[in-house]
Amino acid sequence: MRLIDYLRDRLPALIIGGVTYGLALLFMAAYRFSGEAVILLSLILLLGAVSAGLWDFFRKKSYYTRLIRYTEELDKKYLLAETVGKPDFLDGKITYEALRQGNASMCEHVADFRRENKDFREYIEMWVHEIKLPVASLQLMCHNNGDHKYAEQLKRIDSYIESVLYYARSGSAEKDYIIKPVSLKRTFADVAVRNREQLQELGISLSTEGLDTEVMTDGKWLAFILGQLMANSLKYGASEISVIAESFPDRTELRFRDNGVGIPESDLPYIFEKSFTGSNGRTQAKSTGMGLYIVRKLCRKLGHSISASSEQGKFTELLITFGKNDLHDVR
Amino acid sequence: MKKILLIEDEAALRDELSVLLKNAGYTPVSVTEWDSVPEQMKSSGADLILLDINLPGLNGEALLQEFRRESSTPVIMLTSRTSEIDEVLSMSYGADDFVTKPYNPTILLLRISAVLKRSAGKTSSVQTYHDAQVSTMKGSISRNGAEQILTKNEMIIFQLLLDRQGEIVTRDDLMTALWDNDEFVNDNALSVNVSRLRSKLAELGLEEAIETRKKQGYVLK
Repeated sequence: MRLIDYLRDRLPALIIGGVTYGLALLFMAAYRFSGEAVILLSLILLLGAVSAGLWDFFRKKSYYTRLIRYTEELDKKYLLAETVGKPDFLDGKITYEALRQGNASMCEHVADFRRENKDFREYIEMWVHEIKLPVASLQLMCHNNGDHKYAEQLKRIDSYIESVLYYARSGSAEKDYIIKPVSLKRTFADVAVRNREQLQELGISLSTEGLDTEVMTDGKWLAFILGQLMANSLKYGASEISVIAESFPDRTELRFRDNGVGIPESDLPYIFEKSFTGSNGRTQAKSTGMGLYIVRKLCRKLGHSISASSEQGKFTELLITFGKNDLHDVR
Repeated sequence: MKKILLIEDEAALRDELSVLLKNAGYTPVSVTEWDSVPEQMKSSGADLILLDINLPGLNGEALLQEFRRESSTPVIMLTSRTSEIDEVLSMSYGADDFVTKPYNPTILLLRISAVLKRSAGKTSSVQTYHDAQVSTMKGSISRNGAEQILTKNEMIIFQLLLDRQGEIVTRDDLMTALWDNDEFVNDNALSVNVSRLRSKLAELGLEEAIETRKKQGYVLK
């Protein structure tokens, strides 16, 4: 808040003051005040006006400067009213009170949504558990009766169900995962077995290297992530998939590489965006643009980073980097 | 015949599980009364218990915790809850394995047989096949002083055939068992492995031990 702006804001008051002073001068002239008395009175009036003005300016200036600074610096701007405190001048108090009430109402609003969101998520979790029962029954029926063609469709249903579950999990504000040492070998074998029929039907070969290691993650989430990457490889014409893990002092890198159609360079920066299907998705296979989006969200929640590189017609490689927890290696 | 106690409230699933277990040569017994589950668990005399987590008015994890105070009968948790938290909790309460629904039936059977073997303390000891000794640890079969070393794949195949000796083991089952052990072989490789295993058995004088059933699988005689 600069003085010049403050004065400009007070222009009408200044004009009224000026006009009043002019009228006073006229009266003083009419009553034949002596020159000294006029000067003395003028000085007293001026001193009073200036000091009143300065006092008002500085108390407002100190408050508003703080307000502006907090607005810029605060990460959560809705906490502004609480942080900056109540001013000691009337118009400020009124604004502050209004701001605070607006804030409180917004907080309630957000809390309502959060509650609704949580309810919805809990319902999805419950629904997923419920629907898995008939799916499991059907799968056993298929096995017991030897109807393998139905089993394949059931697997598709199950993978769509999983995708809903993990989408709900990836968006939740709660921590519903456990980070602990997870064997890459065991997790990948589970994913591979689950996709075995399709991999063999398409004649895709799998090779692994260095998976004899543990990473700090949630095993179930990682299995879903790897399952999504494998589903993509299956969709986009791979004939070889290789999964390579490499350990560094501060991290473990997991490379999931296939020799499918690859991703055009222009699409590469967007593949983790929601609903992005890209040219492959449009021309080659049904794509929802959700798979990699969910994968990246899950990776972020777990604290892993994920990136992709590709050359069209040659390969696609997804790189997941797991941080190493210092405490973990103490054992 | 090993007896398996099934604690699963979803009737359709329970019936199919029973069929699966019966076909695999086990004797399944189902719990259908839900007010005395802990007593039934203790008095069943089962060799293994398959326990669901969500039960009517009961929690499988709590049941397991209570059961473990008195018994060491192996328990495999079966659940549609796919969270690591449930798995960690179950294992810490003393579950022997944790399988999520929907499960691959072959994998479920493999897990059951692995847990049964582990509880019988048979994993490291030497098994016998007719008059031959099979050592899983060494990965070898010996007979009359002669020894054949099997590769990891051959051992997995032989082990599965031996576990279900006299029954048909499908190529699908063999393939699942191999993949479950990080051996991602294809159809050809499986045939090659089986024929190598055959010739190693023949070297030991066990000719025609593995019989091929057209379009069904293999039988170890």
